[in-house]
Amino acid sequence: MTPTHMNGSVPRRRGRNRFALTLAATLAATTGAGMARADITIGFVTSLSGPSASIGVLYDKGMTAAYAYKDEIDGQKIKLIRLDDGSDPATASQEARKLIQQEHVDAIIGTSSATSTNAMFAVANELKVPFIAISPVNIKTPADGNLWGVAMPQLPSLMIKVIAEKMKKDGVKTAGFIGYSDAWGDLVYNGAMAAHKDGDGPEITTNERYSRTDTSVQAQALKVLSTKPDALLDGGSATQAALPLITLRQLGYKGQFYGTPALLNRDFIRVGGKAVNGVEVSAGPVIVTSQLPADHFSKKIGTEFHEIFKKVNGGEADDGFSGYTFDGWLVLLNAMHYALDKGVKPGTDAFHKAIMDGIYADKNLAGVHAIYNFKPGKAYNTDERGLVVVKLEDGKWIYQP
Amino acid sequence: MTSRRMQVSALAVGVLLLIAAPWVLAPFSITLMNYIGLYALVALGLVLLTGVGGMVSFGQTAFMGIAAYSTAWMTTVMHGSPWLGLVLALVLTALVAAILGAVTLRLKGHFLSLGTIAWGLAIYFSFGNLPGLGQNTGLPDVPPITIAGISLEASGRIYFLIWFLLLVAIWLSHNLLGSRMGRAMQALRGGTSMVESLGINAFGVKLVTFVIAAMMAAFAGWIYAHMIRYVNPTPFDVTMGIEFLMMAMVGGSGYLSGAIVGAALITLLQNSLQDWLPVVFPKSAGQLEVVVFSALFILFLQYAREGIVPFVAGLLPKQAPPRPARAEPLARRSQPTPGLPLLSVEAATRRFGGLVAVDEVSFELKSGEILGLIGPNGAGKSTMFNLVTGALRPSAGTIRFAGQDITPAAQRKIAQAGIARTFQHVKLRPRMTLLDNVMLGTHTRTKASFLAGMLRLDRAEEARARQVAMDDLARVGLDADPYELAGNLPLGNQRVLEIARALAADPVLLVLDEPAAGLRRQEKLRLAELLANLRKEGLTILIVEHDMEFVMNLVDRIVVMEFGRKLCEGTPAEIRADTRVQEAYLGGVA
Amino acid sequence: MTAQIAAFLTVDGVTTGSIYVLIALGFVLIFAVTRVIFVPFGDIAAFTALTLSALQTKHLPGTVGLVAALAALATLLEVIRLARARRPGQIPRALLFYLVLPLIPAAAVWATAGMTLPLPVTIILALALILPIAPLLDRVVFRPIADGTVLLLLTVSVALHFALVGLGLLFFGPEGVRTEPMSDYMVMVAGVPVSGQTLMIMAAAVIFSGLLFLFFEFTITGKSLHATAVNRTGARLMGIRPERAGTIAYLLGSLLAGISGILISPVNTIFYDSGFLIGLKAFVGAIIGGLVSFPVTAIGALFVGILESFAAFQNSAFKEVIVFGVLIPVLMWRSYTFAHSEEDIDE
Repeated sequence: MTPTHMNGSVPRRRGRNRFALTLAATLAATTGAGMARADITIGFVTSLSGPSASIGVLYDKGMTAAYAYKDEIDGQKIKLIRLDDGSDPATASQEARKLIQQEHVDAIIGTSSATSTNAMFAVANELKVPFIAISPVNIKTPADGNLWGVAMPQLPSLMIKVIAEKMKKDGVKTAGFIGYSDAWGDLVYNGAMAAHKDGDGPEITTNERYSRTDTSVQAQALKVLSTKPDALLDGGSATQAALPLITLRQLGYKGQFYGTPALLNRDFIRVGGKAVNGVEVSAGPVIVTSQLPADHFSKKIGTEFHEIFKKVNGGEADDGFSGYTFDGWLVLLNAMHYALDKGVKPGTDAFHKAIMDGIYADKNLAGVHAIYNFKPGKAYNTDERGLVVVKLEDGKWIYQP
Repeated sequence: MTSRRMQVSALAVGVLLLIAAPWVLAPFSITLMNYIGLYALVALGLVLLTGVGGMVSFGQTAFMGIAAYSTAWMTTVMHGSPWLGLVLALVLTALVAAILGAVTLRLKGHFLSLGTIAWGLAIYFSFGNLPGLGQNTGLPDVPPITIAGISLEASGRIYFLIWFLLLVAIWLSHNLLGSRMGRAMQALRGGTSMVESLGINAFGVKLVTFVIAAMMAAFAGWIYAHMIRYVNPTPFDVTMGIEFLMMAMVGGSGYLSGAIVGAALITLLQNSLQDWLPVVFPKSAGQLEVVVFSALFILFLQYAREGIVPFVAGLLPKQAPPRPARAEPLARRSQPTPGLPLLSVEAATRRFGGLVAVDEVSFELKSGEILGLIGPNGAGKSTMFNLVTGALRPSAGTIRFAGQDITPAAQRKIAQAGIARTFQHVKLRPRMTLLDNVMLGTHTRTKASFLAGMLRLDRAEEARARQVAMDDLARVGLDADPYELAGNLPLGNQRVLEIARALAADPVLLVLDEPAAGLRRQEKLRLAELLANLRKEGLTILIVEHDMEFVMNLVDRIVVMEFGRKLCEGTPAEIRADTRVQEAYLGGVA
Repeated sequence: MTAQIAAFLTVDGVTTGSIYVLIALGFVLIFAVTRVIFVPFGDIAAFTALTLSALQTKHLPGTVGLVAALAALATLLEVIRLARARRPGQIPRALLFYLVLPLIPAAAVWATAGMTLPLPVTIILALALILPIAPLLDRVVFRPIADGTVLLLLTVSVALHFALVGLGLLFFGPEGVRTEPMSDYMVMVAGVPVSGQTLMIMAAAVIFSGLLFLFFEFTITGKSLHATAVNRTGARLMGIRPERAGTIAYLLGSLLAGISGILISPVNTIFYDSGFLIGLKAFVGAIIGGLVSFPVTAIGALFVGILESFAAFQNSAFKEVIVFGVLIPVLMWRSYTFAHSEEDIDE
């Protein structure tokens, strides 16, 4: 093991560097790596390349802020190993194994797409290492009832239910839907359909899809217009979520726009310009920390988060994603403290178990997004206080109490 | 014998090392080995398809995806066993591959490859949109494979299944390449006209090769689903298909071992890049990974197009295998009675648009004679030749062979009927041995199927075919080194080798297209002697030739063509005396 | 579907199709001369848009570094080649073409970075900066393997595309850009509003496909470019240098791609990886043209755009399946009518 990687201040610096070695040497080099270490090691995977990179970078910034917020626990330095999964689930899964089997991490945080996160979660369950999912997951509890991880994002159906309820409150009877032709688009559409079925949301008139690199969504917009909906639900994410809204306004549509936390993106506002003004989305309170009342659970930690984020990343944290990494780190810190308190040594199976116990033992942890109370066998924290509705007014998200 | 024993013991040591690996290597190394094995399985299919068969496919991941989705659907939606999933995966993949192959394999050259990108993308985009397959989110919680109650969830266990399947696939492929159909696959790269002239159904061979490659991808897809335990569309994008192609090319797409070497090298390289790039470029390692990887691949293709395996093999000492043991040659057909009409061309006409290349030409060829077809450039000789061998169809007229009308017959049917041909521009497989090239000629005389070849059920027939080839090599005087590569022969001997290949088909009629072209005088003399000997053995020969001297001294009769028409016909002496011929043809020379 | 909607879809499809036309023409141009299917063509279009956006937001575009690095690499290769061939007299000329000329726009952009420039100037700067990329890539990547099979060239081209997408992410980041609109003009055609931007895109497509057609049919340079593609050795004997013909083709092609990038970026967000799908669909158009005919390519690319628009209206989720599915019958038709005889894939 080279001493360089002990330096926590350098991002993405990792263990054995052995490019020049042959197959035999590579395989041999990893053989003797079974011993437990004294320090705590956490693996972090995100997408810095590929289609999920635009979100992946935000998660990465969140991690940088979290690590700057606290990089030790009970006097023990935490070593952080950061990997890029290239937006590919197979790579993400392979990296989860690498982190566990080669680097012997104590827990893993990852990653930027729902599918890759699911793939990593499966590895964590198999190898019984705690996993903090920072994207929505959809995973069954194994037969023994032990789920080896938790998911930081608000339950996706909840994100959509909250905005669907707001639509209903605003008197919207019918809404068109345009979303990405990907897993996120599916989630939003299915969530809106479910909300309508439960009587919480408006009727959804269309299921139009497009992809991030499409040159035009005029056809889809026309389809929406032809059903004459009261409002539109946007199932895109980040910058290109603005495209259908711009197109609809160009075609003269006057209805209100609604969306999900996936629209909370600086470039969405920049690119969308006038067309996206007034769009309402459900969001974690971290988006509007400064507008929150002083007694709000996320006021204090949120302020700290924004300060440190600005310090280490040089820009405002105006997205929802970085907050998930930050909250994940908070959850892990408390759980590791719990494990160390029990006298368990890092790098052992017992430590993994103790971290999971610690996560479940931690009650009412206030994060920037939500108040966390995880329960064994359940991946999600289902506290509805983790979501507020915000409205875009003149380039700023305004809290709608 | 010692070299064979060494090979066997090297193989045994290799297999033992593979078996021991999970106890010796660290768990992550086994994980890497699993990925290598999985990728090598797909790359192996590409070696057969691309390296051997010459069909470049960018779409193998689509097959992997179909299989992965089949088994995921079977196990998560229908709650069936992964083994039922395997059955569904194989059946469905084979079906889709057969349909796609039937539609696209007739495409030529790069159109075929572009076609694979097209259906690869179309299938990929379908995964997320077909009902019941979990949309773009995919199907989570795919159960692990269990064998006799043992779950293969741990990477140290599924490892055995992956490498067992890979080794079996390599063994089957190795057997196949050494068999009748395997030779036909290797011949595909020589172009359809050569393959069909050997009586091989080129399209059929292509289709089966395509399905075999798809089956290998299907096995990989099945394992993938139960190893990652999660199936969604993104891994089955064309991007990964291109990566598989890179693996095969880097390893050496003409070699079975190239699949493993390529898969190992690329997987380990990516893993290493992940390790050291952050050290060199701490800020932008993730983005640079793909850049460095692609740059290395481009450099590789610029400097070592053939791949690593042939490069390394070139450094190792070569040992020629022993000459094959004698065996009973294949049964020969009975040649027709000499002197009876064998081939009759009646008013054959061929038009290309407005141009009439062959205009109502008639002639007859008797069993046991050598007939020369001559004429100045552009006289229509080559077109006539192509009409006789079935490479072209006449616009009007009939061609009868041994009493049968062969006018509408496909090229390979004509070959099967007993007409063997050579080519003006020699069409041999330069990377195959003399022996294998000649054995290609025995295709119509043997029966072994793809399956028989893979399972080595064809050994007796192979030995007999090999004996035929050895005999024919001896007949033409090229039996000194049957394991020499055909590409290493001088042109004269390549022509002779083509004749040996034609002879191996045990033809009734041998049709030679300008056999003397480009030969030196000595070589011509030897060729003439060989042909004269063949006539003595009772073979009927039709020669299309430009070289008057060569023809005059050899043939029994001559047909002269000019401007697409038959000018005259007669013995060499009569032709020499004919003033029309002198005017049209010899006049220019004299 | 009403007539009104059909009119909307047609205009939308023609707009998208016009973008494809520009890129598809570049594909045909480069393939006709070099036999390279230049997959990264869409990336060149996307890079132009991203460069323009960087100039407008007063950032130094990463393309400057890319051009400089490529120029250095190409110069190095060329100087080594000339030194080995013992022709040092040609080195100054090589320095001019491979180092000085490409670096002029790079230097200009570098010098003016951060300044507020009028829109036309930024457009010209962005185009000038993009132009050397493809010819330099040709020198560095394709010229050493110019004698390879179409398939080898295609495989290398695909690898090059991956490398460029990686560099695009590095230089421009993962976020998409939209550039300033060039015109606010709006006109009603058959009850459908058509923007000035749309008209410009269509006009560019019409003008360039016409010009290319005339260039190849009626000029000596055009004919000699085509001769190079048919027979490299023959062209050399006729005094045409294939390398030079290739460079001209890459320059012209890059200009087309660059213009399409500039025209599309005010109407749609362009990402570092947007080029691939745009390029691929344009490529479908190029294949309809058999990779040889400019007019048929233009019609084919328009057809793809219109098909995409109508498919998106009918069933947006299956849009891509429909577009790429259509390619298969087209390929079959093209393969049968392909003028050349069988191309044997041989060693």
